[in-house]
Amino acid sequence: MKKLVIVSLILVGCETANYAPPVTLVMAKATSRAKQDVDVVKLERGRNLFVHRCIECHTLPTIWHYTPKDWTEIVNSMAHRASLKPAERDAVIAYILAVRKQM
Amino acid sequence: MNKFLLSILLLSIFPTVCAFAGVRHFTFLYEAPTSAPGSVELENTITWAHGANWNDVFIREELEIGITERLQLGIYPLDWSHHSDSGLQYNGGAVELIYNLSNPVIDPVGISLYEEISAARQHFESESKLIAQKNFGRWILDYNATLEAEWEEKGLEEQTGEFQQALGASYEISPRLSVGLEFLHEFVFPDWRDEEKIRNVFIGPNVSYRRHEWFVTVTALAQATDTTDEPDFQLRTIFGIGF
Repeated sequence: MKKLVIVSLILVGCETANYAPPVTLVMAKATSRAKQDVDVVKLERGRNLFVHRCIECHTLPTIWHYTPKDWTEIVNSMAHRASLKPAERDAVIAYILAVRKQM
Repeated sequence: MNKFLLSILLLSIFPTVCAFAGVRHFTFLYEAPTSAPGSVELENTITWAHGANWNDVFIREELEIGITERLQLGIYPLDWSHHSDSGLQYNGGAVELIYNLSNPVIDPVGISLYEEISAARQHFESESKLIAQKNFGRWILDYNATLEAEWEEKGLEEQTGEFQQALGASYEISPRLSVGLEFLHEFVFPDWRDEEKIRNVFIGPNVSYRRHEWFVTVTALAQATDTTDEPDFQLRTIFGIGF
């Protein structure tokens, strides 16, 4: 039973890491070097929206599956369906691109 | 009757004025994610139940509204059915609230709490659910524990309780198409007693397709037990459209 719990926790941990990695300071710093208006708060907001709004319709694809250009187009095309306001859409894109940059 | 026609007319024109809530991957189970705040969706559920010598059809219209990031409101203005023996009947309306506690992707388990109150002439019902969901890549695993309390007949004297467990698994073949399985296990308690030991089990496949602002999900369930009052076969379709 103990082993089962440990294996389950590892699986859950891997799952989260693969599909929506947590925002780190390194991630925020790497992104803010390129874009001044990106900070930890914006990336956290983007991650939160990414894991809440997108799964209302479909499961999350792995972030490395699409190029940064593809991601921008995908999020823009689905923003209305996910009821994302322009600032929220920008936060989701910023989070995805920040994660993509770490890969 | 005029009110009935007016409701149908209003629900028909609603899509032209309003914005999208969410896709249902299952029809007999609810999922943990709630609708985005400000989103509106119209869901039409049709269930055909087939028994030994009878056929019943249940139709429900639901207006799903995202209130906050975690709270969702559902209004059922039209709930009616057709029975082989008694014909068409209006079953009143209902209101539901779903509150999301955790996320199925980033938390160990996505949990939501559900409460529905429905009322009609000589009928009152309360339905409470615990919804647990976990997303594993393209897989969605879903569990619902439901407690139903129903009061019927003159003076609401007839009481029935039901506990239901439902398990579902859905696999996303593409972002537009999912297939899965749904499993229901019901424990029925007439007069809140368990003397008759009524247990019903239903199992069957489902398929869900979504495109732009609409989706359709269909589940076919067969009874795996031998309860004569319950349907041998059920087919449920949910068509949802957001704006």
